[in-house]
Amino acid sequence: MRYLTTKRALLMLTALCGMCLAGGQVPTARADSGNIEVGVIGPMTGANAPYGSLAWRGASLAVKEINAAGGVLGHKIELVRGDSQCTPVEGVLALQRMIENNHIHFVLGDICSSATLAYEPIVENAKVLLLNAASSDPAITHKAGVGGFKWVFRDYPTDEQRAGIVLKYAAEQDHIHKVAILSVDNDYGRGAIALSKEFFQRYGITAVSEDYFQAATTEFLPVLNKIKDSGAQAILMYGYAASSRLVARQMLESGLAGKIILIGNGDFTNPQTIAAAPSVLNGAIEAAAWSPDFDSARSKTFVHDYEATYDGEVPQVHAFTHWEAINLLAAAIRKAGSVDPTAVRHALEGISFEGATGEVKFDDHHQADLPMILYQVENGKPVIKGVSRTAVVYSKP
Amino acid sequence: MSGIGSIGPHVAKPVAGGCLVVASLVLLPVVATSYQLGTLVVSMVFLLPALGLNLILGYTGMLSLAQMGFFGVGGYTSALLAMHFGTPFWLNFLAACVVPALVAIPLAIPALRLRHTSFVMCTIAFVFILESVSKNWVSVTRGDMGLSSVPRPRLGLWSGGFEVHTVVQYYYLGLLLCMLAVAALVAIVRSPAGRYMIAIREDEILAASVGGRTWHYRLAAFVLSAAFAGAGGSYYVHYITVISPTVFDPSYTNTVLVVVLGGGVGTISGPILGSVVFVALSEALRVAPELRMMIYGLILTVSVFAFPKGLIELLASVAKRAWPLRARRSHAD
Amino acid sequence: MLQNLLTDGLVIGSVYALVSVGMTVILGVLGQINFAHGEYYMAGAFAAWWGIDRLGLSYVAAIPLALVIVAAISLAIGYAVMQRLVDVSFDAGIIATLGISLLLQNTATLLFGGTYQIFDGGWLEPVRVLGEDVAQQRVLIFVVTLAVFGGLEWLVRKSRFGKQMRAVAQNVECCHILGVDVRRVVLITFVLGTTLAALSGVLTAPIVMNVYGSMGEAITLKSFAVIVMGGMGNISGTLLAGWLLGIMESLVAGYVGLQFRDAVAFALLVLVLMWRPSGFFTTKARY
Repeated sequence: MRYLTTKRALLMLTALCGMCLAGGQVPTARADSGNIEVGVIGPMTGANAPYGSLAWRGASLAVKEINAAGGVLGHKIELVRGDSQCTPVEGVLALQRMIENNHIHFVLGDICSSATLAYEPIVENAKVLLLNAASSDPAITHKAGVGGFKWVFRDYPTDEQRAGIVLKYAAEQDHIHKVAILSVDNDYGRGAIALSKEFFQRYGITAVSEDYFQAATTEFLPVLNKIKDSGAQAILMYGYAASSRLVARQMLESGLAGKIILIGNGDFTNPQTIAAAPSVLNGAIEAAAWSPDFDSARSKTFVHDYEATYDGEVPQVHAFTHWEAINLLAAAIRKAGSVDPTAVRHALEGISFEGATGEVKFDDHHQADLPMILYQVENGKPVIKGVSRTAVVYSKP
Repeated sequence: MSGIGSIGPHVAKPVAGGCLVVASLVLLPVVATSYQLGTLVVSMVFLLPALGLNLILGYTGMLSLAQMGFFGVGGYTSALLAMHFGTPFWLNFLAACVVPALVAIPLAIPALRLRHTSFVMCTIAFVFILESVSKNWVSVTRGDMGLSSVPRPRLGLWSGGFEVHTVVQYYYLGLLLCMLAVAALVAIVRSPAGRYMIAIREDEILAASVGGRTWHYRLAAFVLSAAFAGAGGSYYVHYITVISPTVFDPSYTNTVLVVVLGGGVGTISGPILGSVVFVALSEALRVAPELRMMIYGLILTVSVFAFPKGLIELLASVAKRAWPLRARRSHAD
Repeated sequence: MLQNLLTDGLVIGSVYALVSVGMTVILGVLGQINFAHGEYYMAGAFAAWWGIDRLGLSYVAAIPLALVIVAAISLAIGYAVMQRLVDVSFDAGIIATLGISLLLQNTATLLFGGTYQIFDGGWLEPVRVLGEDVAQQRVLIFVVTLAVFGGLEWLVRKSRFGKQMRAVAQNVECCHILGVDVRRVVLITFVLGTTLAALSGVLTAPIVMNVYGSMGEAITLKSFAVIVMGGMGNISGTLLAGWLLGIMESLVAGYVGLQFRDAVAFALLVLVLMWRPSGFFTTKARY
């Protein structure tokens, strides 16, 4: 180390830093290109990559359709992809980069609530419109709109209403009074169960067991054995398509088909989930913002186009919500008559958007009031049993 | 030559070099953009636990992968104090250093008996156990929902004071904290205790024979490294304003490991260089989003063979070849 | 219920054992922990999926195809990287294998997209074993696991190559003197270990159903716990440790709560290291 005196080392260090920082400053979009730059930020690599991929695919499809039809107010939309790996640190850096290098004024993101929460102060400061279409932490919109962050919107249902809708139907129609809780172990799963518990007394429901699984878990036999012996009539589950398939299969393996039904939310109505174990899914009750089976022209077209574009892959809810979010954004821009973010923000606040499942509007916390459809699976097909909305009742601070 | 020259060249050169560096760091916000400063803030967030890892690995020879576990503990501590008691930043920061150090003690006592590979595995397990605590102790940590709207750092003595909220301000705060941390590390390493730690790394049995209990020094190193990690957690949580069990994710641990080993373990400037280069590299690779992590992985693997002792050693060999005559001359002074 | 939980534990534990044995063998011979271990498991599952989905093969035909593909990949990686790790410090080896892990995960994501691919194949009809219904595939895994461990024990104890493996594991310098080609032994052991990981990936894919690039991460971490419990480098210890872990997790999931299941592995890891650092089933500590 004798040749590397402090001075030389640190000079070289400074030079290297300079090079690195210069490397970071690579403008990838000319500010005057005329395109509307929209960021999509989510986990594109890492353990949650499947969800980031769904978000990106859904959004890309919408952009492709809009651009093919002439764009928005004569401008084409250009998507910028950002990888957050579902960690706030990566996400914040990706977002800062997009804002600075790509000059985005609108961004869709994140999937994971903790990343979304970390973006809120940043977009507020940069006056960039954040439209979330996947995170479930109620705090995101409790703190938005009149709650403080004026540039944050969420077009995705929170579970406050969903929890009640499911339990009411299960108790009143199917006389379910004993449930085994089995939900994914994150803010979505735990949060939804916490909200569900508030309805237990009202509908006369008790939980005979309470278990949470890591999203990547593949083994459910032991917990299903416990549930088999517990006398539960239904499994209250808030999860994802991937885990629902596995639980359904292993319920079949354990001989629970026809004895216990699944209630809650976890892409139960997705044809691939039903195909995994049809006898298990029969009678499943789900409250979902959307399902691939939803019977509207626009939704069917979306499913068909998505499958055609992406190798036959059946879209899951996150793909839909991001597709819808792009359409919502485009509608807001058209309503505002300009791409100026402030104008678009005002337009979004008061918008009444005809979405693929019904009317979408925002409350004063910028939380979307969406149609929530109650399904029950009968003979391998989801049947609509009711439609309600996801309006949130905010308690006084 | 009077003035600086009269102090003697062996002091003058490092001092001049140091002033140059400090000046350029302080003036950097004039030329750097918000995103670039944001990248440097994240570099500094990782530098603090990296300095701790450097202490325990570079100077005592133990590889601990538990740093980010203590980082998380420090972050939660700092956030909870600020949220529940509205305490000023210096107090939260101090608590974030002390609490992980205290948590580290009962963990270290059984762990330090283990041989190298077992010790590494044990420290990996610690992180997952801490993650499990943060997920399940819902009354305090809010479990998976995490803590959000963590207050900004309030620089004041007790009440009132100045709230840091722009990237530039965070950058300067980070510079200050990192300089303090580096100074602390230098003080530890150059102290008699520090020299003893290096002796332990080189040959533990010999060190024990010279006198003094090796075990106590290793415990001290482990606990101090936890304090450095907690410091990083505090800076992190007040910058990102959110903390959840994801902070215990292995990717955070991997970043710190890369910063230390890639930068140059056992040196002071190694982790500093590593934190800037590897975070900036990771950011610069975003130009190719699909290939980004692949290239990053490839670079990591190649770096093990290209510069096994870290970037600092690479720079040293480059310097050796670039300035051979000058070096000989300065050596003659 | 207890009996069912124990049966579940044995069945699940067999998977753990089969998945982890590759890591312990490589650690024993190379002295390095392969942080990319789970990625070979993932590669096995993906290769089999590709064979079934894109080439139209049957599941039975896809198994050897997957093994060959992964063996080829790991031969390349072993030759280019792992062999060279013999001379490199333990810590640097972690970085190198981390880099490989990122490379493999993201190559899979790049080639096949980030979404879940659904694995179509395998024998999933339940069959009654010890009073409990389990899928036939699980019984197959149990039997294959026993066969693999039997085979490995024979390899290490009775075969000539096994002697070389043990020699390299015990004292590398002596090997150079005795003329044992250390690099060759390391390479072959590495390919063997990773192919075993791939085999476990192929066999569990029908049960696991979802195949995606980052599915190996959790596997690597679980394997750490298993090999520590079994004694690092101890082959039969890994089998017993796998079963023990499977049973403990099963009991915790059944009696306490599924959310604590992963903590069990790490708590056991720590307990073993505190109480019996050489592992439950090894007498002398080498690591």
